[in-house]
Amino acid sequence: MDATEVAAVLARARQGDSEAFRTLVERHSRRAFQLAFRMTGNEQDAEDVVQESFIRAYRQLGRFEARAHFATWLHRIVANCSIDLIRSRRARHDHASTDDFASMPQPEADGPNPERLAASAQIERSVAAAMSELSPLERAAFTLRHYEGRSIAEIGRTLGLGTSATKHSVFRAVRKLRAALEPLRGES
Amino acid sequence: MKHYSEDDLILHYYGERPRGADVEQHLDGCEQCAAAYRELATSLRVITTPEAPERGDQYGLEVWQRIRHQLPEQEMPWWSAWFRPDRLAMAGAFTVLLLAAFVTGRWWSAGNAPAPPVASTAPPPQAATPGDDGRQRILLTSVADHLDRSERVLTDIMNTTAGGDISTEQRWAEDLIVTSRLYRQDAVDAGEHSVAVVLDELERSLLEIVHTPSRATAAHLDEIRRRIDAASLLFKVRVLGSELRQRERQDAPRPRALATQTS
Repeated sequence: MDATEVAAVLARARQGDSEAFRTLVERHSRRAFQLAFRMTGNEQDAEDVVQESFIRAYRQLGRFEARAHFATWLHRIVANCSIDLIRSRRARHDHASTDDFASMPQPEADGPNPERLAASAQIERSVAAAMSELSPLERAAFTLRHYEGRSIAEIGRTLGLGTSATKHSVFRAVRKLRAALEPLRGES
Repeated sequence: MKHYSEDDLILHYYGERPRGADVEQHLDGCEQCAAAYRELATSLRVITTPEAPERGDQYGLEVWQRIRHQLPEQEMPWWSAWFRPDRLAMAGAFTVLLLAAFVTGRWWSAGNAPAPPVASTAPPPQAATPGDDGRQRILLTSVADHLDRSERVLTDIMNTTAGGDISTEQRWAEDLIVTSRLYRQDAVDAGEHSVAVVLDELERSLLEIVHTPSRATAAHLDEIRRRIDAASLLFKVRVLGSELRQRERQDAPRPRALATQTS
């Protein structure tokens, strides 16, 4: 689909054409799921975030500026929906560290030797546990910086934070994760 | 020698330049910072990107099937709200109400007022006709009510904590913007310029509230509050509201004898 077709689909979707919006959903769902999974660390939560993000995007399409990229705009919505979900999960005291880890793909059996696999699994467990202890903003900022490779400026725009607040969210997240990994330093 | 902090090294690891410094050069010559950076980099390198479970080619279609029946009404830009049928109907009803009040006032005065003295040649003052009084009273009451509602939204926003959900206040503000425009135009038509000016300032703040993310950050809220404070908007809204209420009481229909005596 070239830029002109994308613009035409967006214009129709903004006028309430649900078939045009369906094209956008089909085109962007997988990428939205990947981001939501990295943000929430849980497959079912990621599914919920994807659905909520598209519903929110549809509701706010009238505010979407045609000059912007839909993918960038949706990325921002997915990130913020993920934060909302993590916050509500916290509010329910439903710390899902165990579930999070269970949903993480395990190292493949035909990979490196058993000791290394065990160490790698231990690191993943520790990282997952530490990630679930981060505040929603720290987690989001770290995910966008470390996993998604977004710049501090982009993360700030996505999360609605200033540069300084964004940096400090990343710093706090890194410090907490390093502390969680400290006991494993000898093993890795 | 000045050493780099952990925060600086984190920024360097992610390719962000900490305060314009040449960290790489420093690390070549400073063993202490180089060791700290090596430790940091080792820790961060083991945090690998979690692989999301695979989703097939049909995934987008599956998502669509799940959400298609839940799609809400689209939120339109503020200006398009003017053309929504319910808003047009509301504006129409308001106009009819004004017209009815005007006609009733004219009819009432024509039926009850004594015959004008024949000798009098002075034209009656325009603003003193009972029809205009009725229209003016309705405008005063409506604008005073509108200011009360706006004050509640502004107060809520001034007291909201960062990160809280302000979507309810935004919906109120959106409704208020539409009516604010109508009243501002009526105020201009009625020569109430000070009312029109406050309504114009109010409208700008309401627009800003509507266009802020519903999970407003501290920075967003500070910005809105700064503008509200800079314009002394809450104060003006309160003062104008109370002034209009007072005028409304003063302009309330007086006993007929008094009314005819003064005309």
